Amino acid sequence: MARPAAEPIAILGAGAVTPLGADVDAFWSGLVTGADGISRIERFFVDDLRVGRGGEIKKLRALRPEAPRGDCRASRLLLQAAEDLLARVAPGAAPDRIAVAVGTALGGVEQLERAVGAGGRLRHAAGGLYEAPAHALARRLGARGPVLTVSTACASGASALGAAAELLRAGAADVVVAGGYDILCRFVLRGFDALRSLTRDRVRPFDRRRSGLLLGEAAALVLMTRERDARGPRLGRLLGHASGSDGAHIAAPDPEGRGLELALRAALADAGVGPDDVDFVSAHGTGTPLNDRIETEVLKRVLGPRAWTVPVNSIKGGLGHTMGAAATLEAIMCLLAAREGVLPATLGLEERDPACDLDYVAPAARPAHLRVSVSTSLGFGGCNAALVLEGATP
Amino acid sequence: MSAPAARAATMGTRVAGVGLLTGWGEGPGALPADAARAAGGRAVIALAPPALDGGRFRRATRECLLGIAAVEALLRDAGLRREAIRGPATALVYVTAAAYAAANVAFVGAAAGGALHFPYTAPSAVPAEVAIEFGLTGPYLILLGGAPAAIDALWQATRLLERAGCERALVLAVETFAECAGLWARGRRLVRGPLVEAAACALLLPGGRPAAYAAAPGPTPLEALARRRAGETLACAPLVALALAGGARARGPLALGGEWRGRRAGLTWAGR
Repeated sequence: MARPAAEPIAILGAGAVTPLGADVDAFWSGLVTGADGISRIERFFVDDLRVGRGGEIKKLRALRPEAPRGDCRASRLLLQAAEDLLARVAPGAAPDRIAVAVGTALGGVEQLERAVGAGGRLRHAAGGLYEAPAHALARRLGARGPVLTVSTACASGASALGAAAELLRAGAADVVVAGGYDILCRFVLRGFDALRSLTRDRVRPFDRRRSGLLLGEAAALVLMTRERDARGPRLGRLLGHASGSDGAHIAAPDPEGRGLELALRAALADAGVGPDDVDFVSAHGTGTPLNDRIETEVLKRVLGPRAWTVPVNSIKGGLGHTMGAAATLEAIMCLLAAREGVLPATLGLEERDPACDLDYVAPAARPAHLRVSVSTSLGFGGCNAALVLEGATP
Repeated sequence: MSAPAARAATMGTRVAGVGLLTGWGEGPGALPADAARAAGGRAVIALAPPALDGGRFRRATRECLLGIAAVEALLRDAGLRREAIRGPATALVYVTAAAYAAANVAFVGAAAGGALHFPYTAPSAVPAEVAIEFGLTGPYLILLGGAPAAIDALWQATRLLERAGCERALVLAVETFAECAGLWARGRRLVRGPLVEAAACALLLPGGRPAAYAAAPGPTPLEALARRRAGETLACAPLVALALAGGARARGPLALGGEWRGRRAGLTWAGR
C-alpha cells in the first residue's frame, strides 16, 4: 500500500570547503568550469605509496576567534564550512532547538595516530574518537540540541541529512546543521592504497578505461528546517531519503546493487515522487569498475525506460572521493544545478563504457531545467543511501 | 519557528527482547550489585570473544564477533529463530563510542600493507558483519558517541518503524576497551571506571507505548542503576538499562538517559 509523502524539509543555505576552493561559490564555479582539484599530496609523506595524489586542500582559512581551538584538521575543515554557511544564513532558533548531524567515515582518526605516537596527549586521545569534530561544531554554533555523528562509511553525508530530516519531522529540533566531512591523512591513504582501490590514472567515472578512485578531503554543511517553518529564500528542499544494507561483503558492493535499489526506491516513496518525476541523477560515480556498472544497472531497474533520458553525472573526477563529505557536496550540487540551470560535467569521462550506457553529462557542463534530483551513495560494509531533492528553480 | 516542543513523541513501539553480554557475563543477572567494588581496582573488565564457526570470520575483529554474539543473545531472549529477522523488513541501527579504536591502533602500528585489515578499521565493519551473518538487508544507520548516541539510535529506530521503513528494528551497541587501555587511561577525564566491555542488542517492534525523546536534567534512576551495576559501558549503557528494566517484560515507565561530552539525551516510554 502506498504511503503518503513525508514532510519536505527546507534547505536554507549551504557552506563548504573543498579542493576547488574555500567556499560554496568556489565549489560551484569549479564544477561548472571543469576545474581539477587533484594534485600531489604535500601535507604528509606519500613517497612509499603506489598513489600519492588526491584532492588535497592546500590552505585553510584562519578561523574566527570564537571558533574552538585545536589542531584537529577534521574539526578545522568542519568549522570552516560552518563559517561559510553562517555567512550566508543564520540558524535563527533557540540553542536547545538547534541540532547537529554530521557524517564522517574517518572522524578525527589523525588525532588517534598522534595519540598512539610518542608523547600522545589527552586531547589527541579524546579527539581520536570519531564524534569529536561534531561536538566542536556544536560548540561553535552554540547548539544545545541533539548532536549526531553518522558513520555509514562513504554514504555518511547522505545518512546524516536523512537523520537530520527525522529530527525535524518529529519536532526534536527546529533547525539542524547537517552535512559531512573527511580529511586526507596517511591512515586512509595507506588503507586505500593497500586495497589497490586508487588509480594511477585520473578518475574516470563511467569511462571504459576507468581504473579506480582518488581520495579527496572536504567539509560540507547545509541548514535545514521544516518547510512550514521556513522563512525567506531557500536553496531547495529535501523531499525524501532512505538507506539500505547489502548484507553481502565487508568492502565490496553487492554485485547486483540490491541495497542501493532498495534505498533508491524507498527514498522516492518517502518523497512521494515516481521515476517519471526524476530530472537528474547525481551518481556516487567513484570511477571503480564495479561501482559505476552497478549504479548504471540499478538506475535502469528503478527508472525504467526513462533511465536513458535522465542526465547523470559524477563530480568525483575533479574533487576525488571526499568520503563523508561526498554525498552532502553532491546534494548541494543538485540544488545549485537547479537554481543556476546548469549541470556540471563528469570530469574524466571521455570514452563511454558500453556497460555504462546512460546519458552522462560530459564532456562539458550542460544547460538544464530541472526540479527533482536524486543522489546515490554507497559505502564500505554495504551502506547505501539515496536522497531526493528539489531545487528552488529560477 | 514552531513553538519549542518539549518532547518529540513517536508512535508506539515496544521492546521485544534485549540480548546483553558484558565483561560480567550474559544477561542482567550476571551484573554485580556494585561494579566498582566487583572490579577490585581493575581498569577494564574484558569480554572474551565468542567462538564462532566458519572461515568467514578468520579476519573479523573481536568487535565484529561480539556484535554477532549480541544478536544471537537477543534471539535467545526473544525466543526467535534467525529466519525471523532475515531480509529487507529488518532495520539495523548500530551505535558505538569506540569499538573501532582497537582496529585503528592496530592499523596505525602495522608496518605495511593491511589490505585485508583496513576495512575493519571503519565503525561500519561491525554492522556489516552482522548484516552479512544474519542476512539483514533493510534500512541501516550507524551513530557514534557515548550513551546519548544510543538514545539517539533507539529514537531513530522508532522513526524508521513509524515511517514504515521496516517491520522491526535491531538496535545494536558494542564497546571494547582492552586493546586501548593505555589510551583510555590518558582519557580518564572523559570516562569514569571501571570500563566494562559490552555488546547488546534490542529488538523494537511497532505498537505499544509512545516514546518521548528529550534530554533529562540529570541521570534517571534506571541510568544510575545501570551505571552502578554494570560500570562504564558507554553506548551500551542504555541497552544495559533496558535489560535491567526487564526488556520485553518491563511494565512501568521506562526512562533511559545518558551523558557524553556534556550533552544529555533521554528517551522515555510511558507505563502500561
